[in-house]
Amino acid sequence: MSLENVTREELQEILDLAGDSAGGRLEQPLEGKTICLAFFEPSTRTSASFELAARRAGADVVSLSREGSSIVKGESLVDTVVTLSNLGMDALVIRHKAAGAASLAARYTEAAVINAGDGCGQHPTQALLDLYALSEALGGFDELAGRKAAIVGDILHSRVARSVIPAFHTAGMEVALVAPDTLLPQESGAWNLSVMDSVDAALEWGAEILYLLRLQKERMTGARVPSVGEYARYYGVNRSHLRPGLLIMHPGPVNRGVEIVGDVVLDGSSLIPNQVAAGLAVRTAVLALAAGATQKVAA
Amino acid sequence: MSTRSGSTEELVVRGARVLDPCSELDALLDVRLSGGRVAEIGECLRGVRELDADGLHLFPGFVDVHAHWRTPGREDEEDIESGSAAAAAGGFTGVVMMPNTDPVIDRPAVLGGLVRRIERESGVRAYVAAALHEGLKGERLTEMRLLKEAGAFCVSDDGLGTQNAGVLRNAMLYAKTAGLPVILHCEDHTLATGVIHEGIASALAGVPGSPASAEDAATATALILAAETGARVHITHVSTALSAALVGFFKRQADVTADTTPHHLTLTDDLIGSLEGMWRVNPPLRPEEDRAGVREALGNGTLDFVATDHAPHASEEKELPLEEAAPGFLGHETAFAALYTELVLGGKLSLRRLVEAMSCAPGRWVGGLGSISAGAPADLALVDLSEEWTVSERNLASRSRNSPYLGKKLTGRIVGTIVGGELVHDRIGAAFGVRA
Repeated sequence: MSLENVTREELQEILDLAGDSAGGRLEQPLEGKTICLAFFEPSTRTSASFELAARRAGADVVSLSREGSSIVKGESLVDTVVTLSNLGMDALVIRHKAAGAASLAARYTEAAVINAGDGCGQHPTQALLDLYALSEALGGFDELAGRKAAIVGDILHSRVARSVIPAFHTAGMEVALVAPDTLLPQESGAWNLSVMDSVDAALEWGAEILYLLRLQKERMTGARVPSVGEYARYYGVNRSHLRPGLLIMHPGPVNRGVEIVGDVVLDGSSLIPNQVAAGLAVRTAVLALAAGATQKVAA
Repeated sequence: MSTRSGSTEELVVRGARVLDPCSELDALLDVRLSGGRVAEIGECLRGVRELDADGLHLFPGFVDVHAHWRTPGREDEEDIESGSAAAAAGGFTGVVMMPNTDPVIDRPAVLGGLVRRIERESGVRAYVAAALHEGLKGERLTEMRLLKEAGAFCVSDDGLGTQNAGVLRNAMLYAKTAGLPVILHCEDHTLATGVIHEGIASALAGVPGSPASAEDAATATALILAAETGARVHITHVSTALSAALVGFFKRQADVTADTTPHHLTLTDDLIGSLEGMWRVNPPLRPEEDRAGVREALGNGTLDFVATDHAPHASEEKELPLEEAAPGFLGHETAFAALYTELVLGGKLSLRRLVEAMSCAPGRWVGGLGSISAGAPADLALVDLSEEWTVSERNLASRSRNSPYLGKKLTGRIVGTIVGGELVHDRIGAAFGVRA
């Protein structure tokens, strides 16, 4: 459901399994299992990578989207979950627009429930694939300890931030937040992290990883941020920010020219393509752990 | 931004009664100015250039954090040169200009241009308030951080209240990130549907009134949000006893300051009985209870300082029925004399507190101004407290004539104003005996 109470050892276990998956050392771990992908909210990369992961691992996959299901007919989340559960699902992958939806679902089914993003709550598999991509880039999970990471942008509305912050913390990284006060929770001290007001300030602090969050520019500009120009000036990354040893991450989809100047997206210092690639291995591992386990695995 | 690098020539102001509550000075002293700063304060100081101030009072230059110099757009009413001359004639050495011009100062390029003009054209230190929202509309945030880089000193939608509390809250949060103080004109436009104070005078006159709640409700909202967001907020032109009390309540829990105006401290809504357009101002003149309330609040420091809301208007905008006239009064040139005459000579306020409320407190708010101490900017007002004068259209430096004190006999007159060691206002010229 969330990564807040996951230990370092558990993270290590999932990442090792993802490594096995990527290395072709897992053979059809989901053979005979049935996985349901219940995406109550649109998603491209998360749903595609879960579906691909499940199929390649040999599972039977049932995909529900909001439009093609009884949800549009007004069936409640709980009733939908009960129905799916009675069809004999081994694991239920849920994406929903409200925080806490996956936890609620888990109370009504014996199947394993995997949170694929709930509102502004959590997006645990995103944070896991970020850790995986970082470990690969830095030469191992242990190499993450002590690294300085700055999470930049709309922390207030970000489920990614709410999973990445505890995940990076558990991995032993030092985390700072970079955002204007309008894009931070009122109690930005909730995580006990330092807050900075620009990418420049984060680099001065010694950030080795800039983790950029997507700005929902249609919703935010005017109300919480004056303009794309001012946002890009203080919170965007451009070529002048790049330096040896600095890694750029972004959960996607990128607004080129807002969070990142276009040509930096595919620069050598950008881990963005690696993050997408890591999704498959990490989600295979999460599905294998979840569907194969007797108890529900928090992931 | 400072307009004056300061005169390099040394000047000794001799024999004035130096009163600076900020530095605890109140004595006959000589003050040596050098390099644009106060170099030395003492007795029997001599210099190559001397200014004989025998019989005069020397105060730290006044600071007005609320003025409309109508530039760009209405230079027929005031421009930087005339606004700055009016300020200097009133003893003001520092002024904050409001952004409700045409165009509105809401874009970095416009602001940058204004700042460069001020450097050339203003005799006093002038600071620019940028708009808080685009077009002052209370909807979309301005590019506050880029505006700050272009020289903005603070942000304000002065002239209009922000109607949506959620929008105001985000504006405070963003201003906090940008490191800019917010000056708020508190007015609920759903309540403020009239043109004068809703009270006995409006009832008798048959002119639509706006209730005091229009100011009080908006002030309460602003104070609550200031406390919650931690933004640095200044409530300008507080005109009711209740709003002043609300400011007092929130002083302990918010980074908040407040001012009131010379006209709300000296005039009441009895004046609107004449139905002359001259008396329209926003917030409106209030009844005696409110005037007494803001006087008391200024006296005990609940209201931190005086700001004039200097608002020049062409005669064709004031020589109209109340309902059609433009709101606002000239303020710079009469502020000290009106307050000295009415409040100090009237026994309602000490001279010390008046100087504190016109120099020290607003100077502190702007930062580094409003005191006579070694190393401080040489910004000073020389005042003759015994001179009686009648405010007339002929003796105003402003380009407009809409002073509520026209024809009034006031006591106390500014005779010299020094900014950065330079005499920018010199009413009696050679009589000073500045000799090279």
